[in-house]
Amino acid sequence: MNKISARQLLFFLACVAPVGKIVLLPARLADTSKNDLLFPLLAAYLLQAAAVFCTLLVAKRGMSFAELLENTFGRVVSKILLTVFALFLLFAGLLPVLEQKVMVQSVFYDTLPSLVAFAPYFLFAVYVLSKPLASHGRVWDILAPLAIFGLAGILVLSAASADFSALAPVGAAGQKGFFEGTMSAMAWFFDAALLLPLLGKFDYEKGLAWKGTLCYLAGGAAVLLFTAIFWGIFQETAPNQLFAFTVTSRYFPGVTTLGRIDYLFIFALALVMAFYVTLPLQGSIECALEAYGRPRYLPTLLAIGVTAVFLTLDVLLDYRFTEVLDGVTKWAFWVMPLFSVVIPPLLLLLRRRRRAV
Amino acid sequence: MRFKRFLQTVPMKLWLILTAVVLFAFFSNDFGLVDIQKTAIILAAGIDKTDEGFSVTAQIAVPKGSDRTTGGTSSVEIQAEGETVSDCISLIFSKTGWVPKLVFCDLIVLGEDAVKEEDIISHLNYFLRNDYMPDSCLLAVCEGKAGELISSTSAIDDASSLAIEKLFSEAAVKSGRVLTNTLKDFAIDYYGVSKCSYLPYVRMEEQEGGQNDSQTAAGGSGSSGGSGGSGGEKQQIYSAEQTALFKEGRMVGLLPQEQTLALSLLEGNVFTGTFNAKDGTMPVTLTVVRNEGGVKLDSAHAPKAELSLSVTVRLCCRGVTAPVEDIASDSVSPKILESAKKTLTGYVQTLWDMGKESGCDIFGLTRMLYRSSLKKYEEWKDVLLSAVTPVIETEVLSMK
Repeated sequence: MNKISARQLLFFLACVAPVGKIVLLPARLADTSKNDLLFPLLAAYLLQAAAVFCTLLVAKRGMSFAELLENTFGRVVSKILLTVFALFLLFAGLLPVLEQKVMVQSVFYDTLPSLVAFAPYFLFAVYVLSKPLASHGRVWDILAPLAIFGLAGILVLSAASADFSALAPVGAAGQKGFFEGTMSAMAWFFDAALLLPLLGKFDYEKGLAWKGTLCYLAGGAAVLLFTAIFWGIFQETAPNQLFAFTVTSRYFPGVTTLGRIDYLFIFALALVMAFYVTLPLQGSIECALEAYGRPRYLPTLLAIGVTAVFLTLDVLLDYRFTEVLDGVTKWAFWVMPLFSVVIPPLLLLLRRRRRAV
Repeated sequence: MRFKRFLQTVPMKLWLILTAVVLFAFFSNDFGLVDIQKTAIILAAGIDKTDEGFSVTAQIAVPKGSDRTTGGTSSVEIQAEGETVSDCISLIFSKTGWVPKLVFCDLIVLGEDAVKEEDIISHLNYFLRNDYMPDSCLLAVCEGKAGELISSTSAIDDASSLAIEKLFSEAAVKSGRVLTNTLKDFAIDYYGVSKCSYLPYVRMEEQEGGQNDSQTAAGGSGSSGGSGGSGGEKQQIYSAEQTALFKEGRMVGLLPQEQTLALSLLEGNVFTGTFNAKDGTMPVTLTVVRNEGGVKLDSAHAPKAELSLSVTVRLCCRGVTAPVEDIASDSVSPKILESAKKTLTGYVQTLWDMGKESGCDIFGLTRMLYRSSLKKYEEWKDVLLSAVTPVIETEVLSMK
């Protein structure tokens, strides 16, 4: 199968994309926006949903991202733009990979494990990255029910422990809290940018743009509900609960007698995340391949190269995760919206008709 | 041709298998293996304040031999002193060679001296930061030194911490005789706008006629105050019917048993708990079979607190001889109901007065005001407890 179906794309937007936003983001928002944490999250979701809508409208033209750029700017400029975009996707992939690593080390091990504990991810990444981007469609078919199972399980086990009145009073964090929260949240919102390398790899069906946007917002509603539960459980201590989706369900009464049955759902979501965090890297490889062609061994070499770079960064930044997090959320917060919110609407302005050869 | 194509896909298939295997290992959590010969499974920790900093007494579970005639949990208590709690834990590691594992730590006890003098969040900082420690762990204050409590020999269980935890069981909470709190909820109250909370206050006393222990607690080999199993110790029993009040992390008051019951009733927690009333001059005991309670803050004008509790009771016991018809009936006479209402209203009024005197916002009124109106909160936050008027509504009904 060389193409992603509309169903698979909708599965990604509704079920897979939300899982990246329930690890560190809720605690980060709790830190900056306190009980008003839902508002920056909603703002980030609405912005990104608009960008997803624009990207899906662009897909109507039936051209790949590279073809779109080349059609308007010519070959040389499009190569440069694709290279820049590939570098952006590598940058966007850094935080999710490191986030996944610290989550695995802290949650799945009782004492701090060695660096090697996360190494298997890189073997997995080489395999996934060496496959064609369109093969993700079949993966999403499997991951979507898994994500629903995991997220629904966590929500059901957690909801009863939450005190939703803790979300009041509205506006306590003020404008500063809202803007700082929105800035921080941007680091986790680049889903529209992930769709750009997929252009041309799925056929636009009637109504896909609004269906996709609605699916994305439905996933967002689940994330908002989860974040509300997270604050309702931990309230003022929420900034200290770094790995949100792994901690909310542990107060379910059954956990005391049966043990951590919620790990079943946590593992399901962790598995979905392992694929989700690989997607920006694969998008980056796809952009590079579109820019520089596809000689026989280049995809595999790029898969190994990108993984090697991330493995090196993983080792180098082992004790600098907080600095990376602060860097991405406080200093480089504008990078994600620049590429994932600004570019998709601009693509609508590009030349519609194919340039004559 | 087919074989050739198969051979071409072999490396990728092998890679896939390798990936599946390592991914399995990745999610394995080291297969949950814990080397108990190298690990100190801490059941409970007692924290006291010293001149230099802190003293931590950890009760560590010790694996028993294969003797199937003995059950329960053996333990050893190790004490260490340091500038911080983390220092103490590290010292326990260096003294024993066991890596301290807090994932099973269900109880932290704080010595009375420590909680009166200082903000106890400094004592709890280590536990709040520790990712490997459950924040559902119970917190308590004790009379005297926490180290002595943890190291004492229980008359009812092999490990003192397990005996103390029995006091905090769900059944005990429903009896209304004890109020429990966890590390998480205490921290939420502390960092919230009210900055007030409560913890159960544990006392120990020698069991009258209790035997000197020489069997229950094993070990005693621990350095720096390890005490379990040192023959000749008196067996102790524990109680936690009083409740310590906290404001900004310092203990500011102590609720007696009656006010602990009143607070439990206001929280609507009580089921099958008992309290005494009068039938004329004779004492009777009533059992609570239904309890609803709540505190509301009316901040429309001058703030007013509405403390309401409703209980349905049945006659449990008379202190005098009674005819068999009376024993067969559970219903309570209006005279006793009136007496019970008066008793409970008195308990709640005293509870209110104690909270006001100590400056502890027991009912979370500040939080209610904050959540209902930011403007009113800014206006009243500093004087709320002294300005608010209580309206106590008590309803006592008889079971039909």
